[in-house]
Amino acid sequence: MGLFHELPNTLVVQAFKRAPWLASRWAKRHRFVEGRDIPWTPLRKPVAESVIALVTTAGVHLKSQEPFDMEDPDGDPSFRAILSDARKEDLTITHRYYDHSAADGDINVVLPVDRLRELAAEGRIGGIAPLVYGFMGHIHGRHLSRLIAEFAPEVARRLKGDGADAVVLTPA
Amino acid sequence: MGLVQRAIEAEGIPTAGISILREVTEKVRPPRSVFLRYPFGHPLGEAFNVAQQRTILLDALAALETITEPGTILEPGYVWRRHRFR
Repeated sequence: MGLFHELPNTLVVQAFKRAPWLASRWAKRHRFVEGRDIPWTPLRKPVAESVIALVTTAGVHLKSQEPFDMEDPDGDPSFRAILSDARKEDLTITHRYYDHSAADGDINVVLPVDRLRELAAEGRIGGIAPLVYGFMGHIHGRHLSRLIAEFAPEVARRLKGDGADAVVLTPA
Repeated sequence: MGLVQRAIEAEGIPTAGISILREVTEKVRPPRSVFLRYPFGHPLGEAFNVAQQRTILLDALAALETITEPGTILEPGYVWRRHRFR
């Protein structure tokens, strides 16, 4: 099973598309940055009064933005800020490590902006933060420390500036 | 994704994440998670299935209010393409 550690990431994920059970086997063997203490911030007001932000690691960005770097085997730890009311025709996904054909047709599969807007209109949430943030996920090796020390905290600070009271995160 | 989630929570904003790989979530330990046994690329379910996407988003939002123990992973148990959402 050491095999998975040596194969390029792209090949492994192509295999997962065809045999999903491989993914959980991979996850059991793969060494992740393991969390010990769990950060915790209590919700300050009910969801119905909270401004909600979305963050995704599914590789979503604007067509006008630089695509995520798919050539680097360690991934691309940077992020893209996207207006939460961006037109869907202006969005795209750069991510070679999962099958995003469903999300290409309906972005809500990975970034539920329309659903969030409906909940805001119904008063189920207090509002929508002005920006959503797109990462690509599958960050490895030397880029992990940049993600942890640099890009993720920067998005956290930006979310505060955006007035987000809570964040929902979606993976690929 | 869990690493980004932890960073946001550490900065002082409560977070809830959708997980489709329970093993990873158990290792990375983000504060609040909703786990779905769904295929990669489908954290909110199927394309154009509004009821499904809405239900899962509401589950994540509810997790913000209901989870009190850091690291909790909720599992609504929807069966991929079988559960009827309304």
